[in-house]
Amino acid sequence: MITRSDTVRSDAPPGARPAAPTATPPAGPTGPATGTAVAAALARVRDTADEVFAALADVRAATTGRARAVRRGGRGLVSSDLAALRPLLFGRLGAIIAGIGFIAAPGLLADAPWYLEWWQESPSGAPVQLLRDLDPSSSAFYDYTHWDWYTGPATGAERTICGPYVDYLCTDDYSLTLSVPVTLDGVFLGVAAADVFVRRFQAAVVPALREIPVPAFLVNAQGRVVASNTARWIAGSVYRGTEGFAVRRVPGLPLSLVEGTGR
Amino acid sequence: MAVSVARLAIFSPVDSTGRVDLVVRRLGDAIALGLLADGEQLPSESELAGRLGVSTVTVREALMALRERGLVETRRGRGGGSFARAPSEPDVTERLGDLAVDELRDLGDHYAAIAGAAARLAAQRSLPSDVAPLWRSLDEMAVAESSAELRRLDGRFHIEVAAASQSARLTREEIRLQADIGPLLWLSREGLAGHDETAAQHRAIAEAIGAGDADRARDLAERHVLDATDHLIELRLRLQE
Repeated sequence: MITRSDTVRSDAPPGARPAAPTATPPAGPTGPATGTAVAAALARVRDTADEVFAALADVRAATTGRARAVRRGGRGLVSSDLAALRPLLFGRLGAIIAGIGFIAAPGLLADAPWYLEWWQESPSGAPVQLLRDLDPSSSAFYDYTHWDWYTGPATGAERTICGPYVDYLCTDDYSLTLSVPVTLDGVFLGVAAADVFVRRFQAAVVPALREIPVPAFLVNAQGRVVASNTARWIAGSVYRGTEGFAVRRVPGLPLSLVEGTGR
Repeated sequence: MAVSVARLAIFSPVDSTGRVDLVVRRLGDAIALGLLADGEQLPSESELAGRLGVSTVTVREALMALRERGLVETRRGRGGGSFARAPSEPDVTERLGDLAVDELRDLGDHYAAIAGAAARLAAQRSLPSDVAPLWRSLDEMAVAESSAELRRLDGRFHIEVAAASQSARLTREEIRLQADIGPLLWLSREGLAGHDETAAQHRAIAEAIGAGDADRARDLAERHVLDATDHLIELRLRLQE
């Protein structure tokens, strides 16, 4: 959960040639069978991402609830107040989410200028919190306000998807980070975010992509491939508008599906 | 001969000593590079054991080794635990004396291969959002106030290049090699043409990646490592006199 690469926003156009979102399954360029498979793949992608965003909505609600209660008590929020989130966070780990938590805006907490209430899966099954004491002056890596999973929500994006990217700080793996803003009475408190290993996201969506009878792959708004049904466009490569493909927006998500048109 | 040695290595038992070394290396690298900050509390032994998939005894032995190397400090009692300790400036000259010239060349060859491949893939695959942090690191390096800060930023720059390749394995290898040979290369660069030359090489690498020029990015990244290695070998030869 450390990237600054590839933030995409639901309010941004998906790449250079956006396709209008469609309410009904469109007839694909190669016929109705393709159209049905494409509609099913879009639904699968949306369901997979929605599962993560639903968890983030819970984290957001719990965080604002805690912040409001503390504020009513007449004192400032401190890092230990966020420990109340743990049962919720632990319950959302596993399945598709490898790491989840709340990232405080610098200065939000009275006792720690930088803080992550951030928990990750571990092989033993017990969640672990690896990064506790963050101080950008002691490490070149810890200023999280530059990372796009933070800047996206901080500048108003409702749903941000970062990556795929190599997460060399938290998971040591090829990951996606999904994030949403946390605000209280219009004031930005920080970010609720979750890490998803690319391989798990792929396990969830590639079977549906494989049903599409033409080359098809999912890209983020900048064109980075997230998942694919063909070895020629594999996760990590970049679709830069090559001809012979149609781009269609995944409704409600900062992702697009790119399909070969056979032309 | 080489084949039989390699086969021996393959079939040597993966004993607990090997696992201790792996844990020492993983945590030691992270601390040396500042991925775990100076003073940061490490998870408990049992947490670490679970996280790393090894026994608690293995973790304990690894922590002991890290304490001996001064990379971990353990405090007892309330508020106690194990804490990362940034390495004091190592006596790199001594370390240099321990390495034979051909070992240095080999380390340089290995690192150049990794750095070159990472830079080539980064140029092919990177988007503007991957290149922006490279420039941010270089801008921060230009105004860095201490050698320690400069070195941290130098490490971050090269890890960012590796991460831009989209390869987790190349990135992990870059981190490992930085911990291995980084302090030595740094010694070499400080003595070489000063930071201006190094900074110019960094900028050229970032430009080639930004321009999507894969061959040039690879050549520059290899040259960056090999120039420093050459100078390091000269330093090593001088030690022998």
